[in-house]
Amino acid sequence: MRLSDPAATLGYLSLIFGLLLVFFPVSFPRMIVQNWENARLTPTMILFTVLLNVGIYLRVAHRRSAKPGIIAATCLGSVPVVVLVGLNFWLQATIAGTLNQYISSAPARVNEEILAHTFFALIAAIFTPFLLIRLAQQFRQKQS
Amino acid sequence: MVALNSHNLIADWTAAKWLLWIGLYLSFGILGPWLMTRAWAQQHRSNMQPRLSQIFQHGELGLVSFMLAISVIWDLQKSQYMPHTIALGSVFLAMTGIMAVQVWIESYCRRSTGMDFHPERAWRDSRRLALLVFSLAFVTEILLDRFVKVAAL
Repeated sequence: MRLSDPAATLGYLSLIFGLLLVFFPVSFPRMIVQNWENARLTPTMILFTVLLNVGIYLRVAHRRSAKPGIIAATCLGSVPVVVLVGLNFWLQATIAGTLNQYISSAPARVNEEILAHTFFALIAAIFTPFLLIRLAQQFRQKQS
Repeated sequence: MVALNSHNLIADWTAAKWLLWIGLYLSFGILGPWLMTRAWAQQHRSNMQPRLSQIFQHGELGLVSFMLAISVIWDLQKSQYMPHTIALGSVFLAMTGIMAVQVWIESYCRRSTGMDFHPERAWRDSRRLALLVFSLAFVTEILLDRFVKVAAL
C-alpha cells in the first residue's frame, strides 16, 4: 500500500466537496448543518468513509494481486469510527467556544465551523487508516 | 439557517480570492516552469519539447505541493476560525504536504545513493499527492473566503 493510492480518490472527493460549495453555496451547507443538528451526520459519514476505504483497499489489493490482510481490514473498519466520533466531541467544544464569544454573528459562525469541521473530519477519517497501514508496513519491513 | 445568502456568495464570484489564488498557483507553480523550458529550448534552438511528466519526473510536484500547503496553513492561522478548527485543518494540511515532499526527498536520496529509482513512479506518486494537497487547499481557501464574509456580518 502506497499513500498515493488513496490520495487520488481523496483529491477528487475533496474537489467535489469544493465544487458543491461553489455551485450550491447555501443549500449544500444547509444540508450538512441540518443533518448535524438531527444527529445524522456522523453515522452517515462513518458509513460512507468505511465503505470508501474498503473500496479503495480492495481495488489496490486487486491491482497488485495482493491478499487483503485481517489487520488492515480491522484498521479500515475501526479507525474511521474512532476518528469521526473523536472529532465530533472536538466539534462540540468548538461550537461551545464560538457561542461563548457573545458576538452577533455567532449562529452563522457556528454553521461555518460545522462545515469546515465536516470537511476536515471526512479527510481525516479516510486518510488516517491508510497512514497507519503504511506505517505498520514500514515497521514490519524494518523488523524483517 | 442564519448564514450567508446566495446573493452574498454568488454575486461576487469574480471578487472571490480563491479564484485568484488558484490562478496564481497554477500559473507560477506548474505552467511557469513548463513555459520557461519551452523558452529555453527556443533560445538555444533545441528541438526539446518536454512534457510536464518529464519536467517533474523527480517528484518536484511534491515540493510545489509542500510550499502550497505551507501558504494555506499560514492563511488558516490568520483566520478567525476557532483554534480547534485551525489546529485540525493545519495538522491535515501539514501531513499531506509532508507526504508530498517525501516523494521528492525519496527520489533525491535514491538517485544520490544509486539505488533503484523509477521516474514514472515518482511522477505518479507526486502527481496524486499534489492533486490531494491542491484540492485540500482549494476547499480550505473557499471555506476561508466564506468565513471572512460571515465574520463581516
